[in-house]
Amino acid sequence: MNHKFSIANLLIAAVFFSSCTKVLDLEPAQSLSNDVALSSDEGVKQVLNAAYDEISLEDLYGGNIMRNSELYGGEGEVIWLGTYIGPQEIFNRAILVTNTDVEYFWDEAYNAINICNNVLTALDVVDEADRARVEGEAKFIRGALYFELVRYFGQQYKPGTPNEQLGVPLVLKPSENAEDNSAVSRNTVEEVYAQVIGDLSDAKDLLPEKNSVYATTYMASAILSRVYLQQEHYEGARDEADRVIASGKFKLVANYADEFGQDENTTEDIFSIQVSTQDGINAMNLYFSTALNGGRGDVQVEQSFLDSYDPDDLRKDLYYKVGGKWRTGKFNNEFGNVTVVRLAEMYLIRAECNARLGTQVGAAPVDDYNKSHTRAGLDAAASVTLDDILTERRFELAHEGQKVFDVKRLHGTVGTMPFDDVKMVFPIPQREIQVNPNLEQNPGY
Amino acid sequence: MRKLTLFILLWSISTTLSAQTKIISGTVTDQKDNSPLLGVTVALEGTTSGTATDMDGKYTIAVPAGGGTLVFTYLGFSAKSVIIGDQTVINVAMERSEKFLDEVVVVGYGSQIKSQVTGSIGIVKGEEIALTPVTSVEQALQGKTAGVFIEANNGKVGSAIRVRVRGNSSITANNEPLYVVDGIPINTAPVNDEENLSLNPLNDLDFNNVESIEILKDASAAAIYGSRGANGVVLITTKRGKQGKMNVDFDYQQGWSKPTRLREFMNSEQYVTYLQQAAVNGGKYDFANGVSGYASEEEAIADYQSYLNDELDRLSGGTDWQNHEVNTDWQKEAFQKATSRDIGLSISGGTEKIQYFLSGGYTQQDGIMINNFMNRASLATNIDCKISSKAEAGISLQLSRSLNNDIPNDNYFETPLQAVAQAPITPLRDSTGHYTTEPTALYFNPLVETEFTTSNIYTFRTIGNIYGEYHFIPSLSMRVEAGGDITNLSQDRYSGSGSNYGQSVGGYGEVFTNTVENYDVKLLLKYNRTFKQKHETEVTGGVEYQPYRGFYSKVDGQSFPNDDLKTLASAAEIVYGTSVLDQYRFLSYFARANYSYNKKYLLAVSGRFDGSSRFGTENRYGFFPSISAGWILTDESFLSDNSTLSFLKLRTSYGVTGNAGIGNFQYLGLYSASSYNQLPTLYPYNIANPDLKWEKTAQFDIGIDYGFFDNRLNGELDYYFKNTSDLLLDVPIAATTGFLVQTQNIGKMQNTGIELTINGDILVSKFKWSAGINFAANRNKVVALAPGQDLIDEGGSEAMNVVKVDEPLGVFYGVEYAGVDPDNGDALFYINDPENPSRATTNDFNAANFVVLGDPNPDFIAGMTNSMSYMGFTLDFSFQSVYGNDVNLNGDHWMESNGTYFDNQTTAIINAWQQPGDVTDVPQARLTFENGNQFRLSRYISDGSYLRLKTLTLGYSLPSKIIEHVKINSLRFYVSAYNLITFTGYRGWDPEVSSDVYNTYSDPVDVGVDFYSAPQPKTVVLGLSLGL
Repeated sequence: MNHKFSIANLLIAAVFFSSCTKVLDLEPAQSLSNDVALSSDEGVKQVLNAAYDEISLEDLYGGNIMRNSELYGGEGEVIWLGTYIGPQEIFNRAILVTNTDVEYFWDEAYNAINICNNVLTALDVVDEADRARVEGEAKFIRGALYFELVRYFGQQYKPGTPNEQLGVPLVLKPSENAEDNSAVSRNTVEEVYAQVIGDLSDAKDLLPEKNSVYATTYMASAILSRVYLQQEHYEGARDEADRVIASGKFKLVANYADEFGQDENTTEDIFSIQVSTQDGINAMNLYFSTALNGGRGDVQVEQSFLDSYDPDDLRKDLYYKVGGKWRTGKFNNEFGNVTVVRLAEMYLIRAECNARLGTQVGAAPVDDYNKSHTRAGLDAAASVTLDDILTERRFELAHEGQKVFDVKRLHGTVGTMPFDDVKMVFPIPQREIQVNPNLEQNPGY
Repeated sequence: MRKLTLFILLWSISTTLSAQTKIISGTVTDQKDNSPLLGVTVALEGTTSGTATDMDGKYTIAVPAGGGTLVFTYLGFSAKSVIIGDQTVINVAMERSEKFLDEVVVVGYGSQIKSQVTGSIGIVKGEEIALTPVTSVEQALQGKTAGVFIEANNGKVGSAIRVRVRGNSSITANNEPLYVVDGIPINTAPVNDEENLSLNPLNDLDFNNVESIEILKDASAAAIYGSRGANGVVLITTKRGKQGKMNVDFDYQQGWSKPTRLREFMNSEQYVTYLQQAAVNGGKYDFANGVSGYASEEEAIADYQSYLNDELDRLSGGTDWQNHEVNTDWQKEAFQKATSRDIGLSISGGTEKIQYFLSGGYTQQDGIMINNFMNRASLATNIDCKISSKAEAGISLQLSRSLNNDIPNDNYFETPLQAVAQAPITPLRDSTGHYTTEPTALYFNPLVETEFTTSNIYTFRTIGNIYGEYHFIPSLSMRVEAGGDITNLSQDRYSGSGSNYGQSVGGYGEVFTNTVENYDVKLLLKYNRTFKQKHETEVTGGVEYQPYRGFYSKVDGQSFPNDDLKTLASAAEIVYGTSVLDQYRFLSYFARANYSYNKKYLLAVSGRFDGSSRFGTENRYGFFPSISAGWILTDESFLSDNSTLSFLKLRTSYGVTGNAGIGNFQYLGLYSASSYNQLPTLYPYNIANPDLKWEKTAQFDIGIDYGFFDNRLNGELDYYFKNTSDLLLDVPIAATTGFLVQTQNIGKMQNTGIELTINGDILVSKFKWSAGINFAANRNKVVALAPGQDLIDEGGSEAMNVVKVDEPLGVFYGVEYAGVDPDNGDALFYINDPENPSRATTNDFNAANFVVLGDPNPDFIAGMTNSMSYMGFTLDFSFQSVYGNDVNLNGDHWMESNGTYFDNQTTAIINAWQQPGDVTDVPQARLTFENGNQFRLSRYISDGSYLRLKTLTLGYSLPSKIIEHVKINSLRFYVSAYNLITFTGYRGWDPEVSSDVYNTYSDPVDVGVDFYSAPQPKTVVLGLSLGL
C-alpha cells in the first residue's frame, strides 16, 4: 500500500465526518413546537382538550378539589385515616406552608389556566363555526378554576363589603417565556369573583346546549349558580339553578345509588370528569374507597354521621363497613366518572334560595326539596324550613365536595374553629412565595 | 519506617544450608541490559532453604535430588519461579516489575507509561475486584481508589449505584461519570420501566473479565472526553489474549447472604401498652385544645380508647390482643435466606499472529429481601490479529443476558420492608392460610406479593467493537474503530388477583420493551517520534460520531381469568399502551499532544470540539481544552542519588470539561400529546430556552507521585478545585406561568478536595504483606443560583434535601428539634429567627424557621487494602469508610411516630414522655396528633458515618509439586466475606443508603434518605479457582 492511497482514504473519511454536521439536527418524536401546535383549527381544539385533561388530574376535578373540601370541613363527619401527611394537615386544619396537596392544587390550576389563555389568544385560527364554542369552553374552565382558587386561598366573600381581602393572582394572558406571569401579585377576592362571573357569563352566552361531555351553557350556569350561592347572592344562584332545571336537559335518576360510580354520564350529571380504564384518574375512589375497589381507604365516615340519617333513608344504605370502619359507597368504581355538579344540587340551591327570598321561581321550595327527599325513600314533606333544606342538602350531597364551602357561606364552625379563622384558608404555597416575592402570604401562616 | 528497614535487612540475610544431595548454580541478570544483579534472593519453594546472589550475580544452592522449584525475588523486579527438573545450571534474566513506574496506564484514546502521566488517574487492576460477591463493577470498586465515592442505593440486588468522582458537579444534569468499555462509551442510564425501580445497567457486565479500570479524575485526563468528561471517566479494559501457551481458568463460588443490620421493633405487649397510653393522651389533648368539642375530658378519653379498641380488634384479626396471643415479627418475614453462585471459565492464549481471550460466566444472586433475585449469563470474546508488519485488527465482544426479579421501590406498599409497619398483634396468616392483609392488616401486606406477583426483567446486552490499525511509517499510524452498546430489554410484570395493584381489577399485567442503541465510530491518527533522543513527541487526533437511539413501548392489560395466565393474551382489557422514540447525537473533533524532554519534563495539551443535538444551532458546539505539565525531580542530579526518595514527580493540570446530561430538546418551546375523553390533546410541555448550552467545569489539579525505598513505598497526593459554571439547572419558576421549571444555564458550583494514596510492600520475603491506603476529602459548595435565588426547595412537606447557596448540594433543610418540654411532653422546636438569633423554642412547628440541619455528603471517604501471603496461604482484607455524612430517616416518621398512627414502632419510642418532670427526647404519644413527628425535622437525621470490613478473603493454593501430578497449573480454595463487620452509630438499618424512591441517575439532590430501604447484604462465599 502506498502512502498516497492511504492519505486519500483519510481525506474521504474526513469529508464523511464533516458532512455529518447535519446529523445534529434532530426533531423530537413526541413533541411539536409551540407555533405548530397553535397554528391550526385542529391544533387549538386539541390544546383545548388538554385543558380538560389538566382539570381531570387528581389535584383538580379528578378528585382533590372535592376531597379537600370534605376533609377541611369534615370534623365530626369523617376521619382521615391515611398516612399521607398533606391531607392529614388539611383535615386537622393545621396546614404547613409546604403542604404538597395545596402546592399541587395551585400549580395544576395555573397550568390549566395557561392552557385556556393559549386557546383564547389563538381563536383566530379556529373555524368560525366553532369559534364561540371554543372560546366559551376555555372561559368556562378558567372561570371555574378561579372560583376554586379564590374560595380555597381567599377568605369568604362578604356581600355588601368591598371584599378587599386577598384572593389569587389573575393571569389572563399566555406565558410566552419564563418571565411572563411570574411576578404577579394577588388580586382581591372582589376582583377574582368579578373575573369568575365574567368568564362564566361569557361561557354561558357562548356555549351550546349540547356539547358531548364538554362544557355547555348549562354547565356554565350550574357553576355560576354555585358562585352566586357562595357570594350569598341568592337571586343569582336561584336563577342560574332554575335555568339549568328548566332546560329539561337533565333528569334525576330513579335510584339514588345509580347516580354514583358510573362509567358514563348519567341523566342527572351536569358536569363530570371522564374516566375510563385507559384514561384519567378517579381520586375520589382513590381516597374514599377501600382496597378491593381500587382505593386506599383513607377516609372513614363517623358513626355519628350515619346515625343522623333517618333510619329509612336509602342514602344510608350506600355506606359499607370494611375493617370495622364505615365508608361511603359513592366512589366504588375505580374507573367511573368523577361527577362535579349534578341536577339534585340545582334543585336544592333553587329550594334554598327561594326559601330565603320568599319566592317560588321555578317551583315551591318544598317541591324541590321533595325531589331528592322522596327519591331517598322518605315520605314527601308538606312544608319545609330553610333548615330542612340545608339538612337535606347535607345528606344528599354528602362527601361530594361542598362541605367546607357550605360551612363558610353559612358562617358555621369546624369543630370549634369559626369559618373565617385564619386557618380556614389555604396558605399560599411556600414554593411559590420563594420564586415570586410579590406574593403576600395569608395571615396566620 | 524503622521497621521497614529492618525487614529489608532481614530479607537480605541468606541462610546457611545443611547438606543436600544436588547443587544448582547459575547467574541472575537484569533482562533489560544483562547486567548481573547483586543480592537476589534464591529460595527453594516450600522450604526454608535459600541464598542470595553475589557481586557477579552468581549463586549456588543445594536442593533435594528430586528437584523442586526455585523462586528468585528482587526489589523492583517481578519474582520468577523455575522448576529445577534435571537442570544443574539455572541462569535467570529478571524483568523489571511493572508494578509502579513502568506500568502501562490506559488513558483516553491511548495509553501511557505511568511515570510519564501528567493527569490524575485512579487505577484498579482486574484481580483486585474479580470474584467480589456483588453484581456490578462499581460495587466491587468501592473503597479501592481515592476520590471516588461509590454508594449503593440500598441492599436490593441489582438496584442503582451512585458514583461520584470528586464530588457533584451538577444539580440538574447528571453526575455519573462516563463509562467507556474497550473504547465504547456505554449507556449507564436505567433502561427498564422505572415506574417500580431503576435497575443498574452496569449489572450486565461480567467484571471478572476486566483487566484494569482507570478512573480519569482531573481535567487533563478527562478533557479529551469533552462534553461528557465533567464527572470523570471510568475506562474499563477487558482482558485480551497474550502470545504464549493456552491458559484455562475456572472459578466457582457459592455464597450466603443476610442483612448487615436489623432494627428492633416493639412486640405485641409493648405495642398495645404504648397505644393505650397514646389514646389516653390523645383524648386529653383533644379536650384541652377543644379540637372535637368534647364535653369533658373523661368523655374524650373514653372515645379515644373506644376508637383504639375497635382498631386493635380489627388489627388482631379476632385474636386475643389483650393477652398478646399473636406476636408477629414482621421484620424477619421481609427477609429471605439468600444464596448466590458464580461460575466462570476463560481460555486465553495466542500465537504471534493471533491472540484470543474467550470467557463464559454465570452468576446468580438472591436478594436478601423476599421476591428479589437476579442472574446473568455472559460471554466475552476478544481477538487480536497481526495481519502484516504494518496492519493489525481485532474485535471485542461482550454479550450478556440477565434476569432480574425486581421488587418495587421503597415508596410502594409492596416493597418488602414496609412490612415492618404492620402491627405485631396481626397474625402472619389468616384463617384461610393466606398472608393477612387489608382490611385486617393495617396496610396492604407486601408478603402477599410473594404469592401473587411476578416481575421479570430480561436484559440482553451487547457491547462490542472492531478496530483496524495501520502503521504508515513507524511514527505514524491510523486507527479506525466502530462499535456499539446495544441493550434489548424485555420486562413483564403480573400483579395477580390478590396483589395490591391487581386486586381491584382482577389481575394487572404489564409488558415493557426497550431497545437502546449507542454507536460509536471514530478515526484516530497517531504520530509518535523522538527527536535527538531527548524530545519525545506524541500527537493523537481524531473525529468521533456517537448516535444514540432509544425506543421503548409499553402495554398494560387487566382482568385475567386466572392467575396462572399471566401474559396479556389472557387480559380481558388492554388499558394502556405507549411507545416513545428518543434520540441524540454527538459529533466531536479532538486532539492531544504530549511532549517530554529527557523523560523528565512533561507537557501535554488537549482539546475537543463537541457538537450535540441537545442544544440549539447557536450553542451547538463547545470547546474543551486542557493543559498539563509534569517534572520528575528524582531524575535531576540533585535528587537522583537520594537513597530514600526513589521517585518524585510534580504534576499540575488545568482544563475544562463539559456536561450535557439533560433531556433532549429542552431548548425548544414544545407541546406534547396526551388524551382526554379518549380524544387527543396537545399540552404545553416545555417552555423555550433558546440560550441553553453546555455546563462547563474548569478544574485545576496539582499533585505529586512519590516513591521511597526503591518505590516499595509509593503513592500520590493531589489537591484540586473544580468550578462549574453555566450550571444546567432546572430553575423553579412561578407556577402562575403555567410551568414549574425551566432548564437554564445559571449558577455556579465548586468542589475542592485532597486525595492521598499510599501503597507499601511492607513485607516482601516469604511472608508477604502489601497494603494500600486511600483517603479523599471533598468539599462541595453551591456558589450561586439564579439571580436573587438563594434556595431550591422542591421537597414540599416531606423531603428535606435542598439546593442552597453557600451550602453543599442536597443539604437537609428544615426545623431544628429542641427535644421535649419536661412539663407537658410537647415536642419543642428552635425558633431560629434569622432576625433575632437565639436558642428560644416553641411547640408550634409553623412558628419555627427552617435552617440547614445536615449534609448528606461525606466529610471524607477512605479505604484500606491488605494483601498477605505465606506458603500458599493468602489473606486479603479491605476496609472502607465514609465519614461525616448525615442521613434523613424519612421512614421514621412512621416507625417513630408518637402514636399518631397505628404503625408498629421501634423500641426507641418506649422512652416517650409520661409525666411532668420526665426528661427524654421522645415526645408524648398522642393518638392521631402530630407531636414532634413532623416531616422536615432534625429529629429524624442521623449520622451516617461508617467503617466496614468490606472484604476478607482467606485462600490457599495447593503447592505446585502436588498439583503437577494431576497436570494442572494451579488450584486455589478460598473463603471470602463481604460487608462482614460494620462499625457505625447509625440509627436505621444500614448507613449506606439513598432511597431508590429518587432516581440516582437523574437526581443528585435527593440523596441520603432512608425510607424502608433494604439494608446491605453481608455475604460469605466459598470458592475455588482452577488453572489448567
